Amino acid sequence: MKISQKIISKLKDGGVDFFLSVPCKLLANMITILEADKEVFYSAIPREEEGMGICAGAYLGNKLPCIMMQNTGIGNSVNSIVSLLQLYQMPIVFLISYRGTPGEPVGAQGAMASVTEEILNTLRIPILHCNKESDIHKIETQSKHAKVIEGPVAILCNFDLMKDDQ
Amino acid sequence: MNRFELLKLLQKTIQEELVICNIGLPSQELYQINDQPNYFYMLGSMGLSSSIGLGLALSINKNVISIDGDGSVLMNMNTLATIGNRAPSNYTLLIIDNASYGSTGDQKTFTGERTSLKDVAKGSGCQNVIQCSGEETSENLQKALSDKNNSYVIISKIKSGNVPVKPIPLNPVTIRDRFRKKIGLVSYL
Repeated sequence: MKISQKIISKLKDGGVDFFLSVPCKLLANMITILEADKEVFYSAIPREEEGMGICAGAYLGNKLPCIMMQNTGIGNSVNSIVSLLQLYQMPIVFLISYRGTPGEPVGAQGAMASVTEEILNTLRIPILHCNKESDIHKIETQSKHAKVIEGPVAILCNFDLMKDDQ
Repeated sequence: MNRFELLKLLQKTIQEELVICNIGLPSQELYQINDQPNYFYMLGSMGLSSSIGLGLALSINKNVISIDGDGSVLMNMNTLATIGNRAPSNYTLLIIDNASYGSTGDQKTFTGERTSLKDVAKGSGCQNVIQCSGEETSENLQKALSDKNNSYVIISKIKSGNVPVKPIPLNPVTIRDRFRKKIGLVSYL
């Protein structure tokens, strides 16, 4: 819970005030925290691509939105990232649970993990790696960076960071 | 009545409202009829008009109308469940249902066969779902906009068919900024 608490708090320090999630086991604690948080909007949604649309609208309404999802969600959302968020230059924070990284017990998750960073690099989305607790404070600056560059930024929380956060 | 005629008819109702308009011919026709800074024209991301409008309506206290199409809603049907559970009362989804993919050459969609978006919307949890003719759309939209306690999904059943229009000449960031200026968020324009 401590890690999740810190991540949410750094996102909020970075200006994030609108949260969506497509659930992941590794995001479960963050979701519990946000469900009880009265300061910000939070909702679960069925699919990441629609989340990109909802975040775009929230940005038009002056929010700094964050969508929390597995790395698989990036695969579901490529066109909406490019032809909506980047075309109109909209700042959005992607908080990504990086399934398939070392420590992951489900072998099949490795497939999407092996292409995740290449997809983000192809889309020219700045990546912050959170591999250990001491990386978490950088989330505040990374979130602010979305506004500076007027586009999406990614935060990759790998399996090892999240797995012991009970 | 086709889409162009409907959009023309709706002008007096939507002229002052924040509108998210679907990609392709719907946006190009709306632009040709009466370009306004409070119209956000989609230039990509087919399927997301409903979702963009929802995100905006959740973030501000003004009425927001998403103008969508049957083909686009079929592409992003899961968002009807989000709308059914989360849409605030300042949100209206207007689905122009001409049972065809107008922008790509009027190929038929499933709403001309067995699929009912009205039933899908109701089953998804949307509580105020109105299906009507093109002629009745203005009146129903006005009702939705003046109801301060409920969000609406309006499905306007019209004929397929398009008019010749050109691509929208505006830069995407221009569309973004003049729209946000209308909301009061941009001061440099």
